[in-house]
Amino acid sequence: MASAAPDRDPTAVLDTVARLLREVIGEDWVDEVEITMDTSFSDDLELESIEFVALAEQLQETYGDRVDFVGWLSSMDLDEIIGLRVGQLVDFIVQCPPS
Amino acid sequence: MAEVIARGLRFHVQRLGHGQPAVLFLHGVVMDNLSSWYFSVAPAVAEVAPVLLYDLRGHGRSERPPDGYGVADMVADLEAVLDAVGVDRPLHIVGNSFGGLLALAFALAHPDRVASLVLVDAHVSDEGFGQQMAATLKLQGEARLAAIAEHFSDWLGRHSERKRNRLASTARALVEGTSLVADLQASVPFDRAALGSLPHPVLAIYGEHSDIRHRGEDLAATLPRCELRILPGCSHSVLWEATAEVRAAVVAWIRARTEAEHQPGEDRPCGSCSSSRP
Repeated sequence: MASAAPDRDPTAVLDTVARLLREVIGEDWVDEVEITMDTSFSDDLELESIEFVALAEQLQETYGDRVDFVGWLSSMDLDEIIGLRVGQLVDFIVQCPPS
Repeated sequence: MAEVIARGLRFHVQRLGHGQPAVLFLHGVVMDNLSSWYFSVAPAVAEVAPVLLYDLRGHGRSERPPDGYGVADMVADLEAVLDAVGVDRPLHIVGNSFGGLLALAFALAHPDRVASLVLVDAHVSDEGFGQQMAATLKLQGEARLAAIAEHFSDWLGRHSERKRNRLASTARALVEGTSLVADLQASVPFDRAALGSLPHPVLAIYGEHSDIRHRGEDLAATLPRCELRILPGCSHSVLWEATAEVRAAVVAWIRARTEAEHQPGEDRPCGSCSSSRP
């Protein structure tokens, strides 16, 4: 097979993550924002910590136990989380081993 | 969104790990919600025992009614949330700041539903507590924002103007739109005799430079089974300033107690033991 499964393909995962982010933030302005691999959770989207919780829940529903987003975040320190970009989450989801 | 209805209100709850929750985390008031525990300490604890977190009324993604913010109401909320989730065994409760006060109040009211307590720079309900809290929350404008930011700092919130504003508007909605300040002021102080006979083991963690460090020292002198740990260089925001130390202390505390609960030879099915979590 030439193409990866949808939940392992970076472009498809970015589309999914962008959709979930728009749902979680739920405000009009975010529909105007282009969400790319370079988009910063903190600087560009200004995601609050309680919105990170909602994103974790959505990721769990989408990808199941294969993607341990909470465990991944909890391994980082404050500065790392503040500086996170969407692409890092996409790469993390893509490289998670199949459950 | 994961939620339960308790006392007619919608509460946002989160669970980590599989099986009936054995550990409950409680956050602080006004500029706080369950996310502070969710990304700092809870995942490591969930490797040891199943975890439950919820947003207090008016906070995070829980419903914000106009009243019912006194300690007794929050204790009743806690009991109703446990019932709604189906928790019927004693829990280890870990509370930060006001969440620690709530944990203590719950243990006093429902000792049979509590296994142990971890209090992180916890407030204690006494004669001065309500006034001190109200003094902080009633400040106006910039002074209030600064005081709230200092007391209830939010790790992701303090880094951007827009987020600070959103957090401040949540705080304003609570302080100006509900009876929270008056309810906390009217809360009945803890009965010192009852504190003196609290049966549970308690770990109290306080910052060396915390403005309420004396609360911890008083608890250690009053509670029959309290171990006090002072973290050097830390303020009231000890959970943020020494996250790794707090995490290690809570995990060790829960591990020691859950292992004692599951002695060899005990065949009871255990959610955390059969967890498929990597």
